[in-house]
Amino acid sequence: MTRFILRRLFTALITLIISSFLVCMLIHLIPGDPVAMMMAQNSSPTPEQLAAMRHMLGLDLPLWQQYFHYVGRLLTGDMGRSIFGSEPVGKLLLERLPNTFALAFAGLAIAIGFGMPLGFFAAYKKGSWADSALMAFAVAGVSVPNFWLGLMLVLLFSMTLGWLPVAGEDWRSMILPAVTLGVTYMAIIARMTRSAMIEVFSEDFIRTARAKGLPESIVMFRHALRPAMISVVTIIGVVFGYLMGGAVVVENVFSWNGLGRLAIQAINYRDYPLIQGFILLFATIIVVMSVLLDIAYAWLDPRISVQ
Amino acid sequence: MPVATDLLDIQDLTVTFGGGSSRVTALHGVSFDLRKGETLALVGESGSGKSLTALSIMGLLPPEGHVAGGRVMLGSEDLLTQSRRDLVRTRGSRVSMVFQEPMTSLNPVLTVGRQLTEGLEFHRGATRAAAKARALDLLKLVGLTQPERRMRQYPHQLSGGMRQRVMIAMALACEPDLIIADEPTTALDVSIQAQIIDLMLDIKERLGTAILLITHDLGVVAEMADRIAVLYAGHVIEIAESLTLFDTPRHPYTEGLLAAVPRLDVLVAGTTARVRLAELPGSVPSPADRTNGCPFTPRCPIATARCAAEMPPMTPLDAAHSVACWERAP
Ligand SMILES: Nc1ncnc2c1ncn2[C@@H]1O[C@H](COP(=O)(O)OP(=O)(O)OP(=O)(O)O)[C@@H](O)[C@H]1O
Ligand code: SF4
Ligand SMILES: [Mg+2]
Repeated sequence: MTRFILRRLFTALITLIISSFLVCMLIHLIPGDPVAMMMAQNSSPTPEQLAAMRHMLGLDLPLWQQYFHYVGRLLTGDMGRSIFGSEPVGKLLLERLPNTFALAFAGLAIAIGFGMPLGFFAAYKKGSWADSALMAFAVAGVSVPNFWLGLMLVLLFSMTLGWLPVAGEDWRSMILPAVTLGVTYMAIIARMTRSAMIEVFSEDFIRTARAKGLPESIVMFRHALRPAMISVVTIIGVVFGYLMGGAVVVENVFSWNGLGRLAIQAINYRDYPLIQGFILLFATIIVVMSVLLDIAYAWLDPRISVQ
Repeated sequence: MPVATDLLDIQDLTVTFGGGSSRVTALHGVSFDLRKGETLALVGESGSGKSLTALSIMGLLPPEGHVAGGRVMLGSEDLLTQSRRDLVRTRGSRVSMVFQEPMTSLNPVLTVGRQLTEGLEFHRGATRAAAKARALDLLKLVGLTQPERRMRQYPHQLSGGMRQRVMIAMALACEPDLIIADEPTTALDVSIQAQIIDLMLDIKERLGTAILLITHDLGVVAEMADRIAVLYAGHVIEIAESLTLFDTPRHPYTEGLLAAVPRLDVLVAGTTARVRLAELPGSVPSPADRTNGCPFTPRCPIATARCAAEMPPMTPLDAAHSVACWERAP
């Protein structure tokens, strides 16, 4: 188990190093002169101003040096300064982080809290009309774009019924964005849970459990659920990655003051240090989450945790 | 036959798969009985319907399978018409099953102890402590050392032979009258196979449990079985006491099977060679292209015109030996 965790942490570190390298090089991947584009927002900069800016961003150094400078600064917690407003990127991101976390975890809670039981139920009732209805709903849930669903929910619950606020900062205004975010991933998790359960049902050990004369409820909950959960946990990490991406869209639809809104503003203003910081933070969150889930997975599966 | 001591009486068991035009019959009216404490071996080529017979008794046919007729009498109850609730009470308690694959047949996320005690708790209403004590006894009974430690282990921590011992302990937990063992040694190393056979012989002697033994392995059959039923393409085509069947097989198919096998006394003398059913030339007709005649016709050296047209009924040659063949029991 310890070895498993160490190995997992090592791969996580590699992933982060690669992400930081890509993020650092991002600025060079953009067609045209990024510095000119950044500065074009204000006025027409002189060549001297451009050179000064390039120097300030360290873009005049060789690539490998740029990367080591970048990482060196990151290690001291310095993510650079936003070009507009010139506040430290780290501070800007940290201010918005709690809002995004609240939204993402509420979305994830909805996705798991409803998706797993629904998938479980559909698998149990496989082939019934309830199963077909649930899976049709799941397909709809996956296919409907986040922003469209968000707008529809606003239209219904805020505009027409007037039950919930369109935007704001309190928990009531989080309901609609969290539901919007949750529904898509709930559908994915429901489908995954269903197929995992159906797969487990065809396992020999389920037949053994039945041959022992255990009632179907024990076969389901004691014998089938945990093996199925183990395979669902492995995909929750992937779902979480998508969900963080979805959060960017949903935050903008609902004017939710999180990282996603900040990111769109940064992109609009070509605020590269802020964009870089945002990407790196997202990558880190996703990597950390997937490490945690893998540990949960190993812990749930005695084939890994008990040697 | 001494009806009074019958434990299991299967009559005319018919199992089909699918429906409509794609419907195929996999078991065609299988009949045999099993007495208290007896070991009956069910032998036959792959696909002849041995596992289906076992699964029908347990009510564990795959979802596509369907019992189209017949009776499976355990004592005075027909297992096929039992309510789900009664079926659940019969399984594991009066009839239990040992499967071929000990690796995949145990739940990987539950400890050996949990898998042993749960049946006792459910069927016998045993307390945790009582079930645990009984489980320890069972592990000792099946010859596992360090039973306390085994209780806490997961299946992946045990070897194949140990897992099969656990499976057997699980099957014995509620002292069933009948254990169905579907190829219990096939997945194991040869040296381990002999140990498991010895264990089953020991259980049979000590506990008097009846065993329905499904196997390809004629060596195992010779060592363990009191009687043998030969299955061919979903029909029981010959049934007799072991010695009789090995000495004087009557059905041409049984003769063919045994032709390549050393004499029975050699087998019993404990040669380590495990003899598998000989491959006869030709193959079993698939259920889809079956005719009304004897299914062995295409491979039979003594077939006549009648064979292709009409299925021979099981006909007794004497009190303990029956055969389904027009030429041998007209
Ligand atoms: N799920 C299924 N769908 C359709 N037909 C099936 C199915 N399972 C079994 N059968 C049919 O039933 C026949 C008997 O199968 P069974 O598993 O009982 O054979 P067996 O004698 O146990 O063979 P083996 O020695 O290979 O285990 C097969 O030949 C096959 O035609
Ligand atoms: S009935 Fe005919 S085909 Fe079948 S085994 Fe006997 S002789 Fe052969
Ligand atoms: Mg089989």
